Amino acid sequence: MKSIWVWVGALALGIAGAVSAYGQDSLPAPSPIEKTLAARATHTTEVTLDKNMLAFAAKFMDDKDGDKDDKQVKEMIQNLKGVYVREYEFDKDHSYTSDEVDGLRKYFESSDWSPMVHERTKGIAEGTDVYLKIVGGQLQGLFVLDAEARQLSLVLILGPIDLDKISALGGNFGIPKDAVKKAQKEVRK
Amino acid sequence: MKQTWFGLLVVGGIVAVMAPMIVLAAGGTGEGFEAVVHGIEDRYHTHATQIPFMGLISGIARVSTHGGVKGMHVAEFEHFDATVDGDEFNALVEKRAGKGWERMVRDTSKGGANQTLILVRPEGEHMGMLVVDLSGHEMDVVQMSLNPQELTKQLRDHHVGSHSHDSNDDRNYDSKESDSKGEGTESE
Repeated sequence: MKSIWVWVGALALGIAGAVSAYGQDSLPAPSPIEKTLAARATHTTEVTLDKNMLAFAAKFMDDKDGDKDDKQVKEMIQNLKGVYVREYEFDKDHSYTSDEVDGLRKYFESSDWSPMVHERTKGIAEGTDVYLKIVGGQLQGLFVLDAEARQLSLVLILGPIDLDKISALGGNFGIPKDAVKKAQKEVRK
Repeated sequence: MKQTWFGLLVVGGIVAVMAPMIVLAAGGTGEGFEAVVHGIEDRYHTHATQIPFMGLISGIARVSTHGGVKGMHVAEFEHFDATVDGDEFNALVEKRAGKGWERMVRDTSKGGANQTLILVRPEGEHMGMLVVDLSGHEMDVVQMSLNPQELTKQLRDHHVGSHSHDSNDDRNYDSKESDSKGEGTESE
């Protein structure tokens, strides 16, 4: 009888582990802060692509010319687990607070994510944050939070990422070119 | 007695067949393009302009792209003067589009004057795409089914074709230029 409970316990732990692992790979639920930012922004862009959509979108990429780089970028996109982009444009400088920026960053202050860049301008909420998710020595996620005077950009890319190829994603799937390039440059410093 | 039962069965059968059609026609629980258009019409008290020969246009698009684009549906709302709440509009479109459709892009401006929603769903080798775009006083609803592999092939072929055409033009231009240079030299 006792052994049954041990098995049940092990099974429950296994299921819980699988669920939490899945949860970490899935895109986060929108933060309530995003809603307040969107209400204040003059222009909001939201792009959400899950694994299936990314695998399908990769088919639109042409690699028939045999370009090795194109092929690798296509493979990287096919293997990504999600892309989440939010861009808020404001008509006045600093229409967001430091607390809001901190709130957006909170999700990534877990053991899975390592802060790589934390750039701040004294006295104002402007700055750049880059977080990396490294699992088993491999880059499995990138989060960029870029706060500028009239623009706030969030980019979350989940899945195996090749840092050398990441800039190829800039300009695609709503990912701002500058944000990704900035992250790549800062991480390489 | 037998005839009465037969009559009841016939009436029952007709009701069973007609009921879903009536409900769909009323736009109550339908899904997809038509449901989105009817939903917008009902909510904002407006009417979509019918695009004539849309079936023919869709057929031509299908043939000319070798199946790269198919199932085109277009509805246009002109003089759209209603005030749009972005969240409500988004919820309406997502609900009416129905199961399987996932929102990929949402682009919205303050005050709701400009709204763009792009919803997608996998359709076998194709990708279904539903675009709802409100720009000022005009709204367009477009649905189509795209085959990425075929479209990429078409674009590549077109690019190769136009590139070789361009290089021919360049050659012609070069030869004209050299001719004119030659003429210039002669005149000198």
